[in-house]
Amino acid sequence: MTTLHAPDAPLEVRPRKISRKATGADAIFEHASRAVGASVLVITGGVGLFLAWQAYPTLQRYGFGFFTETQWQPETDTLGIAAVLLGTVEVAMVAMTIAFPLALLTALYISEYAPAAIRSTLVSLVDLMAAVPSIVYGLWGFFLIMPHAAEFALWLQKHFGWIPIFQVHADPDAAVWDASRYIASAFCAGIAVAMMVLPMSCAVMRQVFSQTPAGEKEAALALGSTRWGMIRAVVLPFGRGGIIGGTMLGLGRALGETIAVVLIVSPAFEIKPRILEVGTVTVSSLIAGRFGEASTAQLSALLAAGFVLFVITLIVNTVAAIIVNRSRSGAGTDA
Amino acid sequence: MSRLRVLSAVLAALACVLTLPGAASATVYAQIEGTGSTWSELIVQQWISDVDANGMKVVYTGGGSSKGRKDFSQDSTDFAISEIPYQGVDEQGNADTSNGREFAYLPIVAGGTAFTYQLKIGNDLVRNLRLSGETLSRIFTNQITNWDDPAITRDNNGRKFPSLPITPVVRSDGSGTTAQFTTWMDKMYPSIWRPYFGRSGLTSYYPRKGRMIGQAGSDQVMNTIAGFAGNGTIGYVEYSYPVNKDYPVVKVLNKAGYFVEPTQYNVAVALTRARINQDKSSQLYLTQILDGVYSNPDPRAYPISSYSYMIIPTGADDPRMTTAKRQTLADFMYYSLCAGQTKAGPYGYSPLPLNLVQAGFDQIAKLKKADPDVDLTDRDVTQCNNPTFDGKHLDQNKLAAIAPQPAACDKLGEGPCGTETGNNQPSTDDNSGGTTGGTTGGSTGSTGGGGGGSVGQAPGSTDPGATTIDPVTGAVVGAPDGTTTSAGAIYANPTELVSSRPADTNTFGLLAVLELIALILLPGLYVAALGRRRNANRLGGR
Repeated sequence: MTTLHAPDAPLEVRPRKISRKATGADAIFEHASRAVGASVLVITGGVGLFLAWQAYPTLQRYGFGFFTETQWQPETDTLGIAAVLLGTVEVAMVAMTIAFPLALLTALYISEYAPAAIRSTLVSLVDLMAAVPSIVYGLWGFFLIMPHAAEFALWLQKHFGWIPIFQVHADPDAAVWDASRYIASAFCAGIAVAMMVLPMSCAVMRQVFSQTPAGEKEAALALGSTRWGMIRAVVLPFGRGGIIGGTMLGLGRALGETIAVVLIVSPAFEIKPRILEVGTVTVSSLIAGRFGEASTAQLSALLAAGFVLFVITLIVNTVAAIIVNRSRSGAGTDA
Repeated sequence: MSRLRVLSAVLAALACVLTLPGAASATVYAQIEGTGSTWSELIVQQWISDVDANGMKVVYTGGGSSKGRKDFSQDSTDFAISEIPYQGVDEQGNADTSNGREFAYLPIVAGGTAFTYQLKIGNDLVRNLRLSGETLSRIFTNQITNWDDPAITRDNNGRKFPSLPITPVVRSDGSGTTAQFTTWMDKMYPSIWRPYFGRSGLTSYYPRKGRMIGQAGSDQVMNTIAGFAGNGTIGYVEYSYPVNKDYPVVKVLNKAGYFVEPTQYNVAVALTRARINQDKSSQLYLTQILDGVYSNPDPRAYPISSYSYMIIPTGADDPRMTTAKRQTLADFMYYSLCAGQTKAGPYGYSPLPLNLVQAGFDQIAKLKKADPDVDLTDRDVTQCNNPTFDGKHLDQNKLAAIAPQPAACDKLGEGPCGTETGNNQPSTDDNSGGTTGGTTGGSTGSTGGGGGGSVGQAPGSTDPGATTIDPVTGAVVGAPDGTTTSAGAIYANPTELVSSRPADTNTFGLLAVLELIALILLPGLYVAALGRRRNANRLGGR
């Protein structure tokens, strides 16, 4: 029997010199991908710089009041994004509340439960949801969903009205239901936005789930675990990073969703925590609604709001990246 | 051989004859693009599809008058359509000008700013609401907030509406419709409008307060009002939008004491008092001065009538214009001002009167001035197939002359009429013509406009709803009393409204939730069950 190590191996202390420089096809690939990667940085940075440059006059003029003022009235020179930011967060939160469980369960079903025959169909259906233009989601939300969402909002108000966010300033037991108070709200817009962020979150989660080591899944089943027990013990811990990453990615999109929101909401510039009540406004819907007729100064104010949204989205995504990095996929299964 | 030559000569001559009158057919067209008003968008889109067959490519997108004026000033469009002229400087000190681009205003179509609403009694839509200008102004300034307000009852001659909050729907974007409506309020009811607005004058951005809902674009306003949650809403749009959607409009009280609907006739009559800025040196040349329209004493006049302008570039060195584009613009506008106006009535607009058409021709001539290559031959008012005048009697407004007198039940203190609104039919007792006083020539046979039709509907005799049974109470509503006034009207029964609700919504809410869950889960469960059964069969078979 020969040993694996040659007897004189300890003498060879210096490792063989390996060239760090790629050659040939490797070099081309490396440079090309570096260029493409860098261009993403340059473009994103460029957008940020452009927004900051455009926003500067507004931020200089209104100062910190730009963040505390709720009204957006260029004609009377009062501008602020307090209400707009709150509305943005509300719509995004409603969207994520609906989209997160849907995306998680859809991803789990596709990767773990679905019969192989329909799996690929389901995957392409979810991808198709991402391909539907947002104006279609907007019209769908306006004409088909809003009537039912309003009924649901009334039900929520009746039973959970004591929670501040479910309050509506209307009598739920009125003789004629005051339907116009329950439409065009953050809740209605959030439902449409949820359908738009769902495929993104779902795709990321499904990708990660499908990479769960088969051996560990089989080990769990071999130890007598049920299917759900296996998912709980192996798939979910392994995919934690993907779940968080997908959710954050979806949140980033939900914060910036535009046309569907423009179609659904009735702009209201006030601090309104009541998500079921008519009227809200988001940064992107404000920009889309007003930029067409904006003068130079107003455009600068709109882009200032866009800049703030850009920074917030950047923070959200950075935090997501940090979390995903820390909880390396599969870390939970190592134990 | 010679026969062939003769034949070819004949053919050539024939071709020559054929092409001569249509010299325009030899002209080169280029695509022109414009943006602006949603008020007049419906008719403009119709014109565009009409001229498409002649090789003229025109692209028009709405977006609001403010956007139209801005796009034009930035040289990003070839024309704009707006209800108000450039305002010079807005309140913030920002310019609302053409940015140095030379332009002219060209009137294109008239119409009435209509108030459309959804108001249900039981499950029936009220279709014959009447309101005075003061009541309307107070509704849109949050002073009247409930449909059972005494002022509304008084306008409807004692007819009560249910206790339901009023939700005004206003435009959230910069809008010429808003500008026209606020101009009217500012001129007619300054004591109501100015305290609410905080200053005097018009605005393109409606100051939304309180219960109001803001929506972008005329169609979204219309959708919100006609939507499921529209009960109790009222909003302002061009008359064509409710006509298109078969939705009722408010009959507005005019100076003569009649409640009228903005049909093409009533608008045409009202606009006979429109003054036009005739100072050719003024920037506002041809813009409208509507004070006389608002207080037109004719019983047929709709007070909030106005017209829309196209803004065309007249500079010789305009950065976007070419001969082909100017030719397209000139021919498109020639069609619009003449034959195109016949479409205005059926669509819920009103054709332009002669003076505005003539002024429009003068403006089109500026295109030739800018570029002598533009061909404007055969562009004569007398050849113009416009329904408001014929080539022989240029001094009278045909449409205003045949406009029917309002029905007696439309008078303040009478009625209300049982006839429906929003269907482009004038409400009149004038069935045969000739019985009306005042203006003569009630030749009801030909309207020129077509679809509008001037055959009046005598409410008492033709209204099928004369003995409507209230579906809720079972009582006969609008009991026929033999007069021509109150037939078919839907009357309020403010105390019975609870019964209009199908059942306890609580139960239905729960049911809806269960249904939703079932809808999502059942197909999956079924498929899963199928799979399990198949597996079991397979295992059992082994």
